[in-house]
Amino acid sequence: MNAKANKNQVTSIEPAYYQAITEAIRKEAVQILKDETVVGVVGYLPGRRKGTASPALVTTVEEAEKLIFSPACVNNLSVYLTKAKKGVLKQGKVGIVAKGCDMRALAGLMTESQLQREDLFIIGVVCPGVYGFGVERTGTLTEANIARKCRECTVHMPEGSDVAAGTHTELADLTPEEAEEMARIEAMPQAERWAFWKEHFSRCIRCMACRQVCPFCYCEQCLCDKNRPQAVESSPRPAGNMAWHLVRAMHLAGRCGGCAECERVCPMDIPLNLLNRRMAQELKELYDFEAGLTPVEKGPLNEYKENDDQSFIK
Amino acid sequence: MHAEHIKHDFEPKIVAFVCTWCTYAGADLAGTSRMQYPSNVRVLKFPCTGRIDPVFILRAFQKGADGVLVSGCHPGDCHYMAGNFHARRRFAAFRALLSFVGVDLNRLQFSWVSAAEGGKWVDVVTELTERVRTMGPMPEFKELEHEEQWSTFAGASVDKSTVLNSPELKEAYDSIG
Repeated sequence: MNAKANKNQVTSIEPAYYQAITEAIRKEAVQILKDETVVGVVGYLPGRRKGTASPALVTTVEEAEKLIFSPACVNNLSVYLTKAKKGVLKQGKVGIVAKGCDMRALAGLMTESQLQREDLFIIGVVCPGVYGFGVERTGTLTEANIARKCRECTVHMPEGSDVAAGTHTELADLTPEEAEEMARIEAMPQAERWAFWKEHFSRCIRCMACRQVCPFCYCEQCLCDKNRPQAVESSPRPAGNMAWHLVRAMHLAGRCGGCAECERVCPMDIPLNLLNRRMAQELKELYDFEAGLTPVEKGPLNEYKENDDQSFIK
Repeated sequence: MHAEHIKHDFEPKIVAFVCTWCTYAGADLAGTSRMQYPSNVRVLKFPCTGRIDPVFILRAFQKGADGVLVSGCHPGDCHYMAGNFHARRRFAAFRALLSFVGVDLNRLQFSWVSAAEGGKWVDVVTELTERVRTMGPMPEFKELEHEEQWSTFAGASVDKSTVLNSPELKEAYDSIG
């Protein structure tokens, strides 16, 4: 069965589509809470303001009936299951609402033995996309208000989930903004590239939101917080900023699932996902590795082949 | 039979991260064999190339290195079986990242030098030193080190009308006097 062949390409995604997913999620969440398959479900509840949503852990049937899915459900919920956010998984099996990009993060965490598949009940969402930053939230998703990462999404279908909510629908004719931006930077002369990133990194205020929101930044102590010896300067000065962002990109290389949460939460609008994507592209070219929806034995930087490329080594 | 000492305008600082089992022994061999190579290189000994974190390279550049050399055992010869294989993948990725943010990769050299290859060590070090010498000092990371977030506003030579690009900032700056 070819999912690509019978997908639905439309110019706008109406609230009714999200409503259908909402119903399916509620039905499933109520069911698994009732028969005690799970102790709780990590999902989205309506935010206080209209057109928003906030992540929530629901443990009762009444709460589960309030779960929603809308284009405002931007968060990657897998971060709540990691060691960095202690607690949720201690009590038993947990349900989680996951879009395609979130499932890649879950798969990555399973690869790294941070999660066990049998501890999870994954309610997959056939996600057509979510809102971008600072756009008009009308309830309808169109080319004008879709997030940058969703323009090039390859994981609309949450394959490997326990249940999937929704039918395959996606917006037609989206321009790949990030790929274009990456090609533009690649084509710059070296000095201009440096100036481009220097300008972006010099704005960084080192709030560490990118680290806090990342499902893969679960280290108990971050290398960048250590001060004996100090590897990366911790104050928001240009030198430390550059080092922090390079170290971050390097530590996520071969692990990042591409949910672009780092870029979304960045208060200074640093295009962090470009770095992640560049690393992913390189690992694809060199070692044919792509972050997928199912766990693998080892990530690309944790394994090796004897005949790996070494043309850059004398 | 010392080679004639030539005086250069610029002596680059080269930091070499080497593995203790192969390249360090190789460099030692070059020394005991009385081979001549540029004294610009500062050798730092590590247990294995697998121990060399990319952050060391960043730090070397920040603290004033004009070139960095990373050198270890040939593939298959690692004392710890696979350290250099892992390092090879890691540095391949790191090179791509550095290139993406605009660092000239000619300043960063990787090599395999075994304990028997004193001559190769001399070649690698000489070539890197001469290459970096023609390229001149590496300003990028060093400049960052001395910059403050607001340093563009503090310099007396800076034209403030172009730097202070919003009325609020300009007003705030003027009120400081």
